Amino acid sequence: MRKRAIAASILSSAAVLVVGWQLGAPSAVMTSVPSASSGGGTSAGPSTAGSSSAGAGSAPAATSAPAAPSGTFVGSSTSTRFGSVQVQITVAAGAITDVTALKLTDADGRSVQISNRAAPVLRQEVLAAQSARVSTVSGATYTSEAYLTSLQSALDQAGL
Amino acid sequence: MTVHQSSASSGAPTTSVPDGASGAGRGAPSPVARARRIRTRRRLRAADILVTALVTSVALAVALYLAYGGLNDVTDVASAVTALGVVTGLVGTDLILVMLVLAARIPLIDRTVGQDVAMALHRRLGKPALYLILAHGVLLTLGYALSSGVDVVAETVSLFNTPDLAFAYLGVGLLVAVVVSSLVAVRRRFPYEAWHAIHLLSYAAVLVALPHQLSAGGVLADGTVQRVYWLALYVLAFGAIGWFRFVLPVIRSYRHGITVSGIETIAPGVVSIHLTGRDLDRLQTAGGQYAIWRFWTAGTWWHAHPISFSSVPTRSSARITVRDLGRGSRELGRVPVGTRVSIEGPYGLFTDAARTSPHLAVVAAGIGITPIRSLLEHSTLSRGEATVLLRGTNESQSYLWNEVGALSRTAGSAIYSMIGPRPRGVDTWMSAEAISAGVTISSVFPRLTDSDLYVCGPQAWTDLVVRDAKAAGLADRQIHVERFDW
Repeated sequence: MRKRAIAASILSSAAVLVVGWQLGAPSAVMTSVPSASSGGGTSAGPSTAGSSSAGAGSAPAATSAPAAPSGTFVGSSTSTRFGSVQVQITVAAGAITDVTALKLTDADGRSVQISNRAAPVLRQEVLAAQSARVSTVSGATYTSEAYLTSLQSALDQAGL
Repeated sequence: MTVHQSSASSGAPTTSVPDGASGAGRGAPSPVARARRIRTRRRLRAADILVTALVTSVALAVALYLAYGGLNDVTDVASAVTALGVVTGLVGTDLILVMLVLAARIPLIDRTVGQDVAMALHRRLGKPALYLILAHGVLLTLGYALSSGVDVVAETVSLFNTPDLAFAYLGVGLLVAVVVSSLVAVRRRFPYEAWHAIHLLSYAAVLVALPHQLSAGGVLADGTVQRVYWLALYVLAFGAIGWFRFVLPVIRSYRHGITVSGIETIAPGVVSIHLTGRDLDRLQTAGGQYAIWRFWTAGTWWHAHPISFSSVPTRSSARITVRDLGRGSRELGRVPVGTRVSIEGPYGLFTDAARTSPHLAVVAAGIGITPIRSLLEHSTLSRGEATVLLRGTNESQSYLWNEVGALSRTAGSAIYSMIGPRPRGVDTWMSAEAISAGVTISSVFPRLTDSDLYVCGPQAWTDLVVRDAKAAGLADRQIHVERFDW
């Protein structure tokens, strides 16, 4: 009887693990996308988006004159293993007036928390430094690096 | 002769150890034997299912992480450490919830394996669960620190500032207090009540850890099946504890209105407490069971005592017998008549329902006689079916023996007593005199391998009886033990 319990335990545990592993395999993405991440992602937005005041008609780089560019520029989407990051900058007469995070690392609840903490800090630093050469936020290295990479591509588009 | 027939046995063997031949009804399997076999098979199957469910719950905890896709994130050392940290947290918490279920005194578990066996497992899981939770904290801190490129202290500070994490740290602290206070060496220094109060903190520990499980990780994120399953586990564990340990005992105590009707000293330091109440037969107590009693006087209400029924309750009365093993139980001998008594139970599988074999072998020592007394009262025994050995260090420990004689005489069972101290330096449960006379467990119980053996006495002594019985070839399911050490 004991042996039967052991056999049954092994069988059912193995079955449960295999099913779990199958569900979590890369092909079955749907199960591994927690809806919290989208909620977290949008909650990450307001902290930066709130001050971006309706990013004016998304103007491509070409429309602005080389001398003193103005408009909004969307940086490249940079992926990390905690999710991808993409920022948009608002430029007025060659100066960065706002940075808006369009996407932030949101692979899980913790990533969302890290993003929420890091994004405002990075925005402040970038606005102060007027460049992507700012220090990363500790404990949010991946997010910071991706943020600044995306920012740099936006700056490149703006010709800054 | 040290093993001699007790004063009262009628058609029974000689005054020496019986060496066979006392004619029990054997032959074709009786309806009783058939019913017993079916009941045993069912019980063992249920036990298998419970064990399987327990092991599977651990696998499910790991599967939650796999289904979430956790493995896809494992790319380097840091992420591997992080993944391990998440899994240890899930498994550790699952084990703690299992421990709560085991301690909830769920009737199904008590009927299937016995509450004492469930609690033995509960105790064995304590340390592994704590180690897993500690590993969870350490590994995640390390994993996050590695992936963020900061030192462990900075990472700890940043974790502390993450929402709900402070509560999680509090939970770990409580858990450490609970487990440390339960280590045998530490536990002996505390009065039972202090230990129990600390132990109740484990409920708080598991509850304060819940928020961070739901918010900080992606595994149990909002809207996932994983989250529903996990919350169901919490509801099951806390629901079982709340219902079976708090609500049901209150209802039962109120319904039966039990009070003390008399205290009878039956030996030095041993009292029988006579109880009266309404519809006590509805408790459906089986002989050999115990209940957890609380006597509502100023000096005793805060201590609940597990005490065996020393006779099967009637409609309006019940009797329990207790020896003063500590300050708490000594005071029970002084509670006034009319004291209100609340009851949790009855519990225990030390009953006729656990029988598997055609014969019955019973060994009792000291206060261990109490469940034996009600077990025999409740059993329907054919002539010669039971052999009873009563063991005491001296004559003062022979309380209730006369009652056992009176009961068994009607059933035509053989009753022996063995009185005298154990020999020095020998690991045995028998008296020195019996040893020198060449008595063994098989000579006392000639049909031992065809019997159910019921043993009740001090734990160390009981272990020795069980050791001898196993050496004589008795299977585990034929051995029934009531533990009194908790």
